[in-house]
Amino acid sequence: MDPLLYVLDLIVFIGIFGILSLSLNLEFGFAGLANFGKVAFFLIGAYTYALLSQIGVPFYLCLVAGGLVSAVFGLLVSLPALRLRADYLAIAVLAFGEILRLIVKSEEFAGGDWGITVSPAITLVGTSHRVDALVNIGLVYFCLFICFLVAQLLANSPYGRAMRAIREDEVAAEALGKSEAKYKAQAFMLGSAMAGIAGGLYAQYLQYVLPGMFMPMVTFTVWIMVLLGGPANNWGVLLGAVLVQIFVRGTNILKDYFLLPINPSDLQYILFGALIILVLLYRPQGLLKESQIKTKAMEGVRRARNAVKNK
Amino acid sequence: MTVNWAQVFFNSAITGSLYLIGAVGLTLTYGLSRFPNFAHAEFITLGAYIGYLVARQSGLGLPLALVAAFLVTGIVGLLCYRGIFQPLAKKGASIIHLMVASIALGFILRYSIGAAWTWKPLYFTATWSAYDIGPLRITGLWVWLILTAVALAILMHFILVKTKIGKAIRATSSNPELALASGINVDRVILITWFIGAGLAAIAGIFRGADTQIWPLTGWDIILPIFAVAILGGIGNFYGAIVAAFIIGLAENIGVVGLIALGLSTSYRIGIAFLILIITLIVRPEGLAMFFRRA
Amino acid sequence: MQETLLKISEVSKHFGGVYAVSGVSLNIKGGGIWGLVGPNGSGKTTLFNTILGLHRPDEGDIYFNGKCINRLAPHQIYGLGLVNAFQIPRLFSRLSVLDNMLLAARGHQGDMLLNSLFLRKGWQEQEVELAGKAMEILETLELVHLALSPAGELSGGQRKLLEVGRGVMSSPTLLLLDEPAAGINPNLGKKIFQGIEDLSQEGLSFFIIEHRLEILFDFAHWVYVMDKGKIVVEGKPEEVLEDPAFFEVYLGV
Repeated sequence: MDPLLYVLDLIVFIGIFGILSLSLNLEFGFAGLANFGKVAFFLIGAYTYALLSQIGVPFYLCLVAGGLVSAVFGLLVSLPALRLRADYLAIAVLAFGEILRLIVKSEEFAGGDWGITVSPAITLVGTSHRVDALVNIGLVYFCLFICFLVAQLLANSPYGRAMRAIREDEVAAEALGKSEAKYKAQAFMLGSAMAGIAGGLYAQYLQYVLPGMFMPMVTFTVWIMVLLGGPANNWGVLLGAVLVQIFVRGTNILKDYFLLPINPSDLQYILFGALIILVLLYRPQGLLKESQIKTKAMEGVRRARNAVKNK
Repeated sequence: MTVNWAQVFFNSAITGSLYLIGAVGLTLTYGLSRFPNFAHAEFITLGAYIGYLVARQSGLGLPLALVAAFLVTGIVGLLCYRGIFQPLAKKGASIIHLMVASIALGFILRYSIGAAWTWKPLYFTATWSAYDIGPLRITGLWVWLILTAVALAILMHFILVKTKIGKAIRATSSNPELALASGINVDRVILITWFIGAGLAAIAGIFRGADTQIWPLTGWDIILPIFAVAILGGIGNFYGAIVAAFIIGLAENIGVVGLIALGLSTSYRIGIAFLILIITLIVRPEGLAMFFRRA
Repeated sequence: MQETLLKISEVSKHFGGVYAVSGVSLNIKGGGIWGLVGPNGSGKTTLFNTILGLHRPDEGDIYFNGKCINRLAPHQIYGLGLVNAFQIPRLFSRLSVLDNMLLAARGHQGDMLLNSLFLRKGWQEQEVELAGKAMEILETLELVHLALSPAGELSGGQRKLLEVGRGVMSSPTLLLLDEPAAGINPNLGKKIFQGIEDLSQEGLSFFIIEHRLEILFDFAHWVYVMDKGKIVVEGKPEEVLEDPAFFEVYLGV
């Protein structure tokens, strides 16, 4: 296969999973939520996009709808689930994701086992695969940019500070007037919306949606990206997305060029597992440490501090 | 629609037995180490493969496969605890980190198995003939499964109540600090529990593999219902797990009848356990615990 | 003395049949330093926690600024201006000292989701002001050199000071302090209380539990003495010191 296409394909995947990483970073990195069901909201966004585009809705509305529907589900799930202990929450949303996957697998309107074909968002007539890939990169990275902007603005604000405080100590934060329920629900809704948009982008890029594309494995891949890159650091989790995707797609490419004694995709997950355990044991803060809160006030204090130091 | 209720109840016993054997290990380690071990699914899978290997090499039947799988997987479980979870816990890892570590461990085991045996489904060569006794359709395998579950339940009860180690497990489960203070070697208790837990998972794996197929997702296919059993029965509560296993077995099989009656796809069958799991977590996460003596 | 800020009327709280607080009534008026003393286990901390909404009173009523607060959640009580500094400091260890201070400010506009994304200018300026105020308080408490360090790196005594600082930062109407001088050397303890007195003269009111009677009695203008869940003596410090009931409580004579 065309090597340049491999690279372009990789870049698209980095973009889509970058959005997913940012969404999990918001939920887990900043708000401390154990969302083991990220793929559920990815699925909702993807299938919403697929179904709407099937009836001729323009692509940008499909994307927005994917985000909105995911956000609504996120809110519904957050109502009973967010007050649960971390492990209960994790198991519950994991099960939720599996129920959704079971539904789309069994119901006709969602295409069952064979899924739904999706037309790409933007088609330019008579172009090559390369140009199609470039168009997708444009679309995906536009969305990624917006999500990144939102994530950074939130993190670098009193809102983000309050969210981190709740993550650290809910009781203390509540005593200071920060409502745990509100911040967690909002984080979860936003995270779900982002995952929904990523789902729509995924659906139109691959041009079909299948239940098998939304296994729990996707959730855990995103977790690896966040833990490796650095929870509570938006640049960090993007870095995690880049590294993990290079690793995943890279080993797939190797398969075409080398004959390995072991199936590369098996080896890749074995190494993943080992890597994550090593990260958890020896560098749980990830590659990039938690980002500091950058507001006008905080930066002012930092500058003054540095000025004093440098005298 | 005529329903063969006798078969429904018998099937419930089969499902319940499988889930019970699978869930005991999970509920005990969850209760002791205070985190859900998602790699329990891969202990189940590993057991199926070890059983397959032994059955093929030796040509001898089920019992040897069960014992071999129990021992090997038990040791693997023990090593996983020692090598991964214990060091993490010592470093103060949060419950989220431990959960993620268990998933990572699951990857390592699952894909190692996939690499070693490929992802093609395997089948035990032994065949089990079906008999019709009255309204019931029975196979030898199912009878073995139910008998094994009953035997294990009685054995575990005996161990927990009558033996020193069993009492130590119960003590540590309800109050680790107090157990340590009373001279119990808590470290050894935890190791033994992980050994037994993984070993029992292996046995469940063999039965599941024999009943359906053996592939790297054998354990993951049934892990959520097994979680449902552990949580409904009360985490760490052996007796609760027994009751929960049969409640869920019944719910699934009666549920299938309901699905057919409602014209829904029977593949939703497994969703019944998922629903019970979610509802229990939201409404009453301690499950049936208060009705049973601890552990 | 001004209006009543905090009125507690026959409040009781029991745990499984054991009464930690039993029929307690007291009045805290605006301005000044009010003290609560008593031996260990007399129910002081339970009373504080009940006032703050961590427990619901089993009997009796609690009024703050005329409003009954029995059923309010802690963050709501905080919002009314009744603020606490925990006995064992519960700081956000991974956040900086300055962040910890800023979190304590009430009514920070940037707290809302939409405000953090859009109207950023408004709260940026507000935060600069709040940061200024925070740095001043940190200077008084001799913590300003640690403003950008993670709160987890502070010593036990420094954490205490930060806790008090956070309490002051929230511009409370009434600030509850549970043993502010515990675990701090006496000189620093006196210094904290001096700071508290300065602030009380600017209009802030304090209700303080303190074990170190000698420090508290120097600064408080009214003291309540608790024993076994009940108020046994109250009055100006010099009067309480002469009351035989006070000695009975502490010396068992």
